[in-house]
Amino acid sequence: MIIEIWTKEKYAASEDAGFIGRMAHAGLKVKAARLSRLYRVEGEFSRAEFERLGKELLTDPITEKYSLSQWKPGLKSAWRVEVWLKDSVTDVVGESVKGAIADVLGREPKTVRFGRAYYAACESEPKLKHAVVKTLVNEIVNKFKIEKI
Amino acid sequence: MNDTLSRFTSLPAKELEALDKAAGWSLNALELAEAQRQFRKMGRQPARGELETIAQTWSEHCKHKTFSGPVVFKDGSKVKKYKNLFKETIVKATKTLNRKWCLSVFTDNAGIVEFGKDGKWGLAFKAETHNHPCAVEPYGGAETGVGGVIRDILGVGLGAKPVLNTDTFCFGRLDSKKKLPKNAHSPERIMRGVVEGVRDYGNRIGIPTAAGGLYFDEGYLLNPLVYVGCAGLIPVDKIDKKVIPGDLIVSIGGRTGRDGIHGATFSSANIDEDTSASAVQIGHAVNEKKALDVLMRARDLGLYNAVTDCGAGGFSSAIGELGSETGARVRLDRALLKDTRIEPWEIWVSESQERMILSVPKNKLKKLAAILDAESCEYCVMGEFPGDGRLLVTHKDETVVDLPMEFLHGGVPNFEKQARRRKIRINSAPPALPSEKYGQILKDLLAHPNVCSRHSVITQYDHEVQGGTVGKPLQGRYGDGPGDAAVIWPQAATLDQTDFSGFGVSHGFNPAIGKIDPYQMALHSIDEAVRNLLCAGADVSRTAILDNFCAASPKDPEVMGDLVLAAEGCLDGAIAYGAPFISGKDSFYNQSRDAEGREYPIPLSLLISATAPVEDVRKALTINFKEAGNPVYLAGLNARGMGGSVYNELNDSGNNAVAPLDMGAAVKLYTGLAKAIKAGCVAAAHDVSQGGLAVTLAEMAFSGGLGAELDLAPAAREKKLTALELLFGESPARLVFEVVKGKETEFLRLVKGLPVSEIGYVSEEPVLSVQDGSVPLFREDLAGLKACWRRELI
Amino acid sequence: MKKPKAIILRGTATNCDIETFNSFKYVGAEPELVHINQLLSGGRKVLDYDIMAFPGGFSYGDDISAGKIYAVKMKKLAADFEKFIKGRRPVIGICNGFQILVKTGFLPQNRANAQVSTLYTNDCGHFIAKWARLKVNKKSPCIFTKGLPDEIELPIAHGEGKFIVEDKKELAAITAGNLHALTYCENPNGSMLDIAGVTNPAGTCFGLMPHPERNFFAWQNPDRPAAARETEAAGFQFFKNAVEYTR
Repeated sequence: MIIEIWTKEKYAASEDAGFIGRMAHAGLKVKAARLSRLYRVEGEFSRAEFERLGKELLTDPITEKYSLSQWKPGLKSAWRVEVWLKDSVTDVVGESVKGAIADVLGREPKTVRFGRAYYAACESEPKLKHAVVKTLVNEIVNKFKIEKI
Repeated sequence: MNDTLSRFTSLPAKELEALDKAAGWSLNALELAEAQRQFRKMGRQPARGELETIAQTWSEHCKHKTFSGPVVFKDGSKVKKYKNLFKETIVKATKTLNRKWCLSVFTDNAGIVEFGKDGKWGLAFKAETHNHPCAVEPYGGAETGVGGVIRDILGVGLGAKPVLNTDTFCFGRLDSKKKLPKNAHSPERIMRGVVEGVRDYGNRIGIPTAAGGLYFDEGYLLNPLVYVGCAGLIPVDKIDKKVIPGDLIVSIGGRTGRDGIHGATFSSANIDEDTSASAVQIGHAVNEKKALDVLMRARDLGLYNAVTDCGAGGFSSAIGELGSETGARVRLDRALLKDTRIEPWEIWVSESQERMILSVPKNKLKKLAAILDAESCEYCVMGEFPGDGRLLVTHKDETVVDLPMEFLHGGVPNFEKQARRRKIRINSAPPALPSEKYGQILKDLLAHPNVCSRHSVITQYDHEVQGGTVGKPLQGRYGDGPGDAAVIWPQAATLDQTDFSGFGVSHGFNPAIGKIDPYQMALHSIDEAVRNLLCAGADVSRTAILDNFCAASPKDPEVMGDLVLAAEGCLDGAIAYGAPFISGKDSFYNQSRDAEGREYPIPLSLLISATAPVEDVRKALTINFKEAGNPVYLAGLNARGMGGSVYNELNDSGNNAVAPLDMGAAVKLYTGLAKAIKAGCVAAAHDVSQGGLAVTLAEMAFSGGLGAELDLAPAAREKKLTALELLFGESPARLVFEVVKGKETEFLRLVKGLPVSEIGYVSEEPVLSVQDGSVPLFREDLAGLKACWRRELI
Repeated sequence: MKKPKAIILRGTATNCDIETFNSFKYVGAEPELVHINQLLSGGRKVLDYDIMAFPGGFSYGDDISAGKIYAVKMKKLAADFEKFIKGRRPVIGICNGFQILVKTGFLPQNRANAQVSTLYTNDCGHFIAKWARLKVNKKSPCIFTKGLPDEIELPIAHGEGKFIVEDKKELAAITAGNLHALTYCENPNGSMLDIAGVTNPAGTCFGLMPHPERNFFAWQNPDRPAAARETEAAGFQFFKNAVEYTR
């Protein structure tokens, strides 16, 4: 199960601008962007329990929202870049969250991996991919995929 | 590979080489032949784990073969031979000085000097580099670099409590136009990653990152340098450690995984396109903090007899080192693993981060386990130290290593390296007249990346955690002036708020001089580090220093020649300043192929890190002008030469002579000035370094929001010194002081006979005005100067 | 006089605990460092103490968000904490401690342990450590800020310090009750109403992003020796007030 968390639009301006700036630095003009955080939780939990994790643990109730299915940020002609650490690389955040899930649900999941998604409205996929590799991910430690939304 | 291993002792050289390459050991032909000879002597074939152990133990990273090997140095027709370059320079200085306040030098994970008044505490200090990992994965590389040097402090003696992190980085210029090879990151990306890595690790673990520096040069474009340092406090009765036969081998902290195979051998190899991903790791500050919290509690309760960190070579090095006399029985199946898909030999050599090895008496294990559990810190008992000198490593029924310890720690084959003095043409003619006005040149220099403000980096570090950063990296009236040295009041380690003992930490670094004269570079760097400490009010007669050399390939005789000259400079400088080396490290092969396929080496880079006691932190000095009307003094001789200056980089003056350091005069000068500082005569002090005197004056002025009316005519100077050299030359051993108005007479009495001259006074008007006798040099308002200097680097 | 007992709460990878311990010791309290595992196992009870402090720094690496995992761990002990706060024993949360108090819902007002405000990522997007000038709200019921001058300096060091309250009524309650005891002169993180520190209506439970333990003595100020003439600095008063309140 992947739980996706994003910042409500009214609090997301600086985070979005930071991403757009970083892409501009790599030579890509991004017209609009939204960001989210992904927690891939593997374990024998019910949907209600996953909901509880989203609500009580992983989301800031004031500034953030979550979804158990892929978020639709409402950007036009945009791509979604999903970035994870490779499975062979220790995921520090994932480990912390694993322990915290046990505190909330009373039992530990098998694995937790932390990732990020970037939604970018921009010209073309090849250019986006170029910028992503240049500034956002390091293929030595990261894996990523780009899809049209 | 198993097939090849079963014929190991009879493999021809070519096949040995192929085996080495396939296994990723980075052993050279001589070493492979030696390993072959040893197993032939034993009359059997090696196990993979045994060759892995040898590769780790004999690696450049662990054994420092280049620096501590034999060298023949040719300087024209003169030839000098060294049996062990390191011992005959760096170590010789320390032995000659034989300071009784040096409590532990060159033997443990860090050097230790006495700290404080009553002889209860020692100060451990260590710096190392993490260059290759940062080039490949800047964020993770920087994190694990910081984590590694902190573990050195945790693993010195029976464990010191870290109270300060230091970081010095060298990157290619951010505005570099040079084409990069395919897999290289841009300097901007490397810098951002490294800064974020240091930030996230240092801040999470709660150690202030409060000293260091940033240096930009095209030579670092493909090979950034990341120097990480750590200082910690240790009770003097916890410095000695000794494994007692029968002790248990306990690993605490992180788990072992495949994410750290061959880091030690990797650091000795050139980076190329097929760099192995497993050599790169991400740091886990939380695990290291758990280990830290456990160790400090367990140490004070005396629950273990020895400790060391798992660094390069992982268990093989750490357990091998602790058990070098007793031997060790290790059961790898007891190790806590991140991932079960791992070979036994991989567990043995994995360099997974955040692990410490303890030697624990059997009857204390229960108490130790209780602390580990209370701090949620994982651990495993991996075996014991038996006392028979045999290293036996098993995984269930499989024997992974079975060797006598003396085989590993005995003679590593070493061969003589050729060194030759580089030919540099020196032009000592007067520098060309500048095309711009002095005021504009000053502004250009203030905006230069090697001079401008570092606030955008420093403010990302929690440089005041532990509440003891009394001398701050950002200081002055607005909390943004560039401090010369960190002054640390380690209340979070001593728990004593009535003891005001502290220590200063500073650096000296100048590869631009090294390109012209590596010997002078070493002297200038030691001088700069000492001067910085003096400016913070430290007792420089008790300075201890660390050497960290980074160089390109030692196969190049000119690279080795640079190293020899700089090492000789270290010897002479340390002795003249009475400042022993207490620890050091070196890193070679910092060169890569550029986009055109040509070798691209770094310039020889020597970081001198220095520490000295500050008797009363409440009296530590800062750089900013404090009060209008106070007189301003310039100390030291203004010498000729623009070599290695920032000015020359901006606008080559044609003159590339490096002003030689007069060590005797400098030491005499600092002794006098130290007395004046102790007597409370000095309100502010700042050294003259990169950018020259004009930059020093500007920084003192805008950090205090006060101007100055200055006339340099009385300043001590070499004959035929030009105004350009006076303002922007970087001759060593010079400082600027603001003297307390009512204490001028006493100040003059204490510096009598020394080259110290009054050059004007601090003024209310926020303008820096400088003339030389009847010649006006520049008059600039502070806001304009500060605006140029205060650049956002990141 | 009997020394008030101060519990300094730790967790995995808490930092700033020792300097906070030192600060309480200096002002005459008897501080003790207690790991939350000791509370969860019943080895220590918060109600045995007179003062409570959540130190600054990080806890559990601040993964997910700052203070969140610590706040989750506290849930099982919520009743004891509530009793402590309702009994008007002084509680201070510094930086990470403030984040914990906000995320457990104990600040600004305890609305049935529901979180009504948050401390979110700074507008600049990253961690920032520098000195900040602060205005002291003289009308605030906060016991920790009593006797301070109108304006003080303290260092900040945080990545998530932007104080946000979504509900307009809650925000109005803060201003009406003068719960915003400390505000920034130059807002460094985008906090609503420039808020740097918030108290509960009783004035006894207080959280702030700046670090009073780092400007406890005059020589901890970046502007020296001009400032080093006096021994104690602004931060001292926060701790002193807590101890005096218990007497």
